[in-house]
Amino acid sequence: MERIGLEIKGFVAKLQEGAQPQDSQKSLDQIVKLAVKYIAQWPNKIRLQEGEEVCLQLITNKLKSNWKWEDRNNAVAVFHELYSIASSEITDQRQRDLLSNLILFSLETDAQYCPWNDVEVPVSHPVQHAKFSIGRSSSSTNSSSKLIGNSSSQNGNRMVGPMDAYSYDSPQTSLGLDNESTSDHRTELNTESDVDGVFDLNKYPMQIVGPTTGRSYDSSQTNVGLGNYPIPSYTVELSRQKNFDNVHDVVQNAIYSFVGVQGKYLKKDVITGRFKLDPINKVSLTEPQCGMLMRLSQLGYYHDCVAKFSNISTGYNAMGSMGQAFMSKLKLELSEFHGKVALLQDQLNEHRHLMLYYYKGDQRSSMNSQPKKLTLNKLLIWYMEPMYRMEWLTRIANACLMKKGGELASVLYDFLEIGNPLVDTLASDLLTACCGPLVRMISKWMLEGGIDDGYGEFFVESLADVGVDRLWHDKFRLRLHMLPKFITRELADKILKTGKSINFLREVCKMEGAVKGRKELKDVIDNHVSSIFSYVPDTQWHAVIETCYSQTSKNVLDIMVGPHKLLDHLQGMRRYLLLGQGDFVGIFIENIKDELEKVGTDIYSHDLSAMLDAALRCTNAQYDDADILNHLDVVVKTPYSGDCGWDVISLQYTVRGPLATMLEPAMPTYKSLFKPLWRIKHMEFVLSTKIWKLQMANAKALRSLSGEISKITYRLNLFTSEIMHFVHQMQYYVLFEVIECNWVELQKRMQQATALDDILDAHSDFLHAISVGCFVNTSTNMESYLEVVYENIILLDNWQSNFYQICFNELAARQLMAEAIADSEQTGRYGLTTEQKMERDEELKIFEQRLVASYRALEIIAASYGKAVGDFLLALNSSNDPNLQLFGTRLDFNEYYKKRDTNLSKPLTFEHWRMSNVFGTSRSLSGVRHSIYPQATNQISALVPGQISSCD
Amino acid sequence: MPSEIITLQLGQCGNQIGFEFWKRLCLEHGISPSGVLEDFATDGMDRKDVFFYQADDDHYIPRAVLLDLEPRVINTIMTSAYSKLYNPENVYLSKHGGGAGNNWASGYGQGDKLQEEIFDIIDREADGSDSLEGFVLCHSIAGGTGSGMGSFLMERLADRYPKKLIQTYSVFPNQDEISDVVVQPYNSMLTLRRLTTAADSVVVLDNTALNRIACDRLHIQNPTFTQINTLVSTIMSVSTTTLRYPSYMNNNLIGLTAPLIPTPQLHFLMTGYTPLTSDSNLSNNAVNVRKTTVLDVMRRLLQPKNMMVSTGPDKSNHHCYISILNIIQGEVDPTQVHKSLQRIRERKLAQFIPWGPTSIQVALSRSSPYVQSSHRVSGLMLANHTSICSLFERTLSQYDKLRKRGAFLDQFRREDIFKDDLNELDESREIVDGLVQEYEAATRMNYLEFSANKRDPKVDGDARSEEPKSMNSVGF
Repeated sequence: MERIGLEIKGFVAKLQEGAQPQDSQKSLDQIVKLAVKYIAQWPNKIRLQEGEEVCLQLITNKLKSNWKWEDRNNAVAVFHELYSIASSEITDQRQRDLLSNLILFSLETDAQYCPWNDVEVPVSHPVQHAKFSIGRSSSSTNSSSKLIGNSSSQNGNRMVGPMDAYSYDSPQTSLGLDNESTSDHRTELNTESDVDGVFDLNKYPMQIVGPTTGRSYDSSQTNVGLGNYPIPSYTVELSRQKNFDNVHDVVQNAIYSFVGVQGKYLKKDVITGRFKLDPINKVSLTEPQCGMLMRLSQLGYYHDCVAKFSNISTGYNAMGSMGQAFMSKLKLELSEFHGKVALLQDQLNEHRHLMLYYYKGDQRSSMNSQPKKLTLNKLLIWYMEPMYRMEWLTRIANACLMKKGGELASVLYDFLEIGNPLVDTLASDLLTACCGPLVRMISKWMLEGGIDDGYGEFFVESLADVGVDRLWHDKFRLRLHMLPKFITRELADKILKTGKSINFLREVCKMEGAVKGRKELKDVIDNHVSSIFSYVPDTQWHAVIETCYSQTSKNVLDIMVGPHKLLDHLQGMRRYLLLGQGDFVGIFIENIKDELEKVGTDIYSHDLSAMLDAALRCTNAQYDDADILNHLDVVVKTPYSGDCGWDVISLQYTVRGPLATMLEPAMPTYKSLFKPLWRIKHMEFVLSTKIWKLQMANAKALRSLSGEISKITYRLNLFTSEIMHFVHQMQYYVLFEVIECNWVELQKRMQQATALDDILDAHSDFLHAISVGCFVNTSTNMESYLEVVYENIILLDNWQSNFYQICFNELAARQLMAEAIADSEQTGRYGLTTEQKMERDEELKIFEQRLVASYRALEIIAASYGKAVGDFLLALNSSNDPNLQLFGTRLDFNEYYKKRDTNLSKPLTFEHWRMSNVFGTSRSLSGVRHSIYPQATNQISALVPGQISSCD
Repeated sequence: MPSEIITLQLGQCGNQIGFEFWKRLCLEHGISPSGVLEDFATDGMDRKDVFFYQADDDHYIPRAVLLDLEPRVINTIMTSAYSKLYNPENVYLSKHGGGAGNNWASGYGQGDKLQEEIFDIIDREADGSDSLEGFVLCHSIAGGTGSGMGSFLMERLADRYPKKLIQTYSVFPNQDEISDVVVQPYNSMLTLRRLTTAADSVVVLDNTALNRIACDRLHIQNPTFTQINTLVSTIMSVSTTTLRYPSYMNNNLIGLTAPLIPTPQLHFLMTGYTPLTSDSNLSNNAVNVRKTTVLDVMRRLLQPKNMMVSTGPDKSNHHCYISILNIIQGEVDPTQVHKSLQRIRERKLAQFIPWGPTSIQVALSRSSPYVQSSHRVSGLMLANHTSICSLFERTLSQYDKLRKRGAFLDQFRREDIFKDDLNELDESREIVDGLVQEYEAATRMNYLEFSANKRDPKVDGDARSEEPKSMNSVGF
């Protein structure tokens, strides 16, 4: 360096001494060559004073004025020719600057020796041109110096800009700055970091970077300029200098835009927030630059979007704690991105720095480690990956807008299926972050039974206004819209049940049922967040959930089945409320039969409880667990007028404690089931112990009257047997096919049960099946038909007692008569008076009339009963339930009804089936029946007169 | 106490089958021959107090009254291991011990004479029960004591306890072999009358069929009384099983019989049992241990060869079931029952009455845990079938043969009831004939009108018994 420097000095001195045009020309030539060499070796040695154009102008001026060369213009022209040849090989703008500066420097050192003032500037076209260019150049110098100042001050800003973005994440700044507008923020930071900016300016007063992208443009200009004019190089250089600023700005602008900062060229659209080219400054850009800038600015837009989504103050966020997690994850992404941009900026800065040193001319050794120059094209390559990431982040964040909890997770989960591995990992990261709070909620819920859910985003919710007594069934429920897609309903149910069980154990059973190895389980649950959404639920996390569930379930199950005797109680309810314990029910009815006949208001439950106890004691119920029997109680409902004991007395099974929590919801069902079952028992009781038994007994007693009454008694007997068949089949069906068969099913399921809810579900299914089987709360009319049947049985009972009353009166009268005759025989009067005989005949006539009336009444009952049964059978046959159809065939096993009612023999064809469905079941069917049934009643009424006449 | 049933054992046959019955019950309830509850049976879910009463904590005494006019059978019982089982006060032996000499009239007459002592026992038993449901009478209709005294008791019981059921297990004589009791047709006829009029339900145990079953089905060449009685005791115990092992339905006698008996007279029930095995061929016949389904059992129960009543061929094929109750024991899947019934209906395996709705009722019953059965499923059928009238027709024809000749009537005339005339015999025939008519009528659609037709002879009969007095009195 020293040598070259000396050589240059030598040449300069030669120039000054000799002043021979040829020599000076050669010297200049040498100087330029040396300078180029010098610059190439030590780019940082020389301190840059002015831009290339300014330097060249100064040099030209000096050449023209300083030396008294014969052909000054020639010297200048030679210099320019030489310089353009030398500089054409130098691609780097900075080197060119350095070169020009060096030359100027070397010339200026001797400026005082040169008698420049007398040099006359020839008036010529080129000079004019030069003057013009000078004027232009000076103005451009001004503007450029202004621009440098501006840009350097901007540089200060920009340098801070990214920094503020980095520090943005740090808690102290984010706290303070969250609510401030960006512009305020920027200014504040600007003032804050003025020192830095000043420092930067001092250190790198000439930080100007120009990409080479504009070179082709420049060279063409140069070529044109060089080809046409002797001094076009000025113009070339000037435009080059201008272009150099442009290029430098463009790259910086692009980097600014990456972090969403507006620059000279890129401005934000107020409405869309997208970057657009500044309409004024865009003129100085080339078409490709514009395109590239626009493309690069996309990243800035997405960055802004992500920043917006991650900033809670904007309101464009996901919500809740899972939303917070999501947002902080977004912020993390942003800071990572900012880091990348900072590296980029750093690279830019470093490059400038190096160039600076190069100009200074020292540290030649660092020439080799010169960092790559940044260009828009490079940026385009660089921006692909962050762009993609930001774009997807924006897309995901946009989809998550205003979502919370499970919904949020579901939305994120959808992005796992995009197929792009980058998006997959991105979404998976986000989802993992997001599920953090969820998993903690799950672990707290499953292990401690607590819900810590301030934002209502957990898929289990606890109803605050539901008391402990309904804890099991109503207190907790799934919030289905908060259920993430990746958690199956089954799994969610398990999670719900686990927590519910823990709550149940603690609140209702008053025992701390801590899950074994709770800490380990908690660790596993909390630390395997990403397992929650694995495609196949076979991860350790799922296994742990399963373990928790099965352990807790088993715990509850053991407690309920063990100390609380759940199964025994279910059995007990079946036995007593569903009247499964036939002997007990029989005896109980037998015991309280007097009470049952009473008017409802005369019944007192305390009388009944004693009878209940008696019935319990003397039947097989006595072998039952006392615990269960204690729950059994007899209650008297508030009687309505006309109610008798049968209507108001019912059995009740009181459940307490944890059992109540379990079984309370089932109790109304039991109550509603008890009614029809009790009613059938009532009917059976009336039929067998009252109607049939009386018939059997009275048949013996009234044998002497059989001549008169046998027609009625036969009708009565057959009618009774018909009813009895119906009631027995009904009872058999209900007690056996419905209850027993379902009970078998229930027991099967109870044995397989792994959780309490399995049992309870099975139990409620059981009750449901029975409800359907017993025609409780069905939409069909079967219940009402049955009621008609039952009413007719009661009517028959009343009718029968009347009938036997008549018969026994007659019998008594006859016996009296016979006794009177016997008396008269003994007293020797023999025979009866005519009045007595007449009276007797009269009575007999009345008796016979009464019988006829009775018979009619019986037929009316029978007809009404027959109609109800017919309707019932038809309803059964047209039912969709195969069980009911089979029951229909069972009731009519020997096709007795079928022969009587043509409707029943109709096969269940589509037409028939449709008929019964299209016009609302009841109306159409009853309509059909009305048309059919008159025949049946006609038959009966046709029978009646004949019979009556035969009676007469 | 619940629905108690008092068992009355009358005569040689009655006491023998009763003895077997009680043996069986003790076995099933885990009660030792001396009446003490066995240790293994203390936590049973059975209902013992229908047939037993508790003397003290674990001492059970049958509600049984043993009556006989001759000491032989009762002595056998009282010297057996079961002697301590019975309440000695309930064992009544006629003092003179001469028996009834296979004479219905003698038995009837002695019943009349001894009624106070007998009813002392019965009344005491009845008082000892909380809600007495009825009486079960074990007897044969052919002998003297069971038939004669049984008839008398039935009439008295019907008067005295009009609200209680009277069920009888009546052994009908073997028609295949010539009986040593020559007056058997008379005895049968006279007893049948009471069975028709006084009893509420009669379970017919036909010795003919029992013997045939023993020979054909159990491959016993000359079945002993004990073997036959084992069959009988099986039927008796199974037919009461729903009372002793209560479940949903048929928990009392009335619930059991009421659906079977539509009209008061048609109360003669046939029984059938399957699978039939005896102890002897149980051990060496492994074929019987096979899967028996409910359908198999129900189908076999409908086969005549398993019926305990030999009804003779039904030539016109018009007889039909009035009602059927199947008591199925063993491991039964409840859902199978319905399917089986459906199958039977489809195949029309049973013919039913045309005049009313009826079907096969099924009672699923638990069986005793203390008695090992070689069959998974066993079934008893109680059926009201019109063909049972053929049994009465046979009795009628045999009676008519004797009556036409006026044979063996001397020993009857010696008794009070026949002192004046033999009207009793004729009336009995009338009533039994009416019964046969009614059964025949029950096969027809117009059974309801039977009452009208039936009236005339009945009225005549009534008139005959009543009118002489009043006519006379009016006439005088």
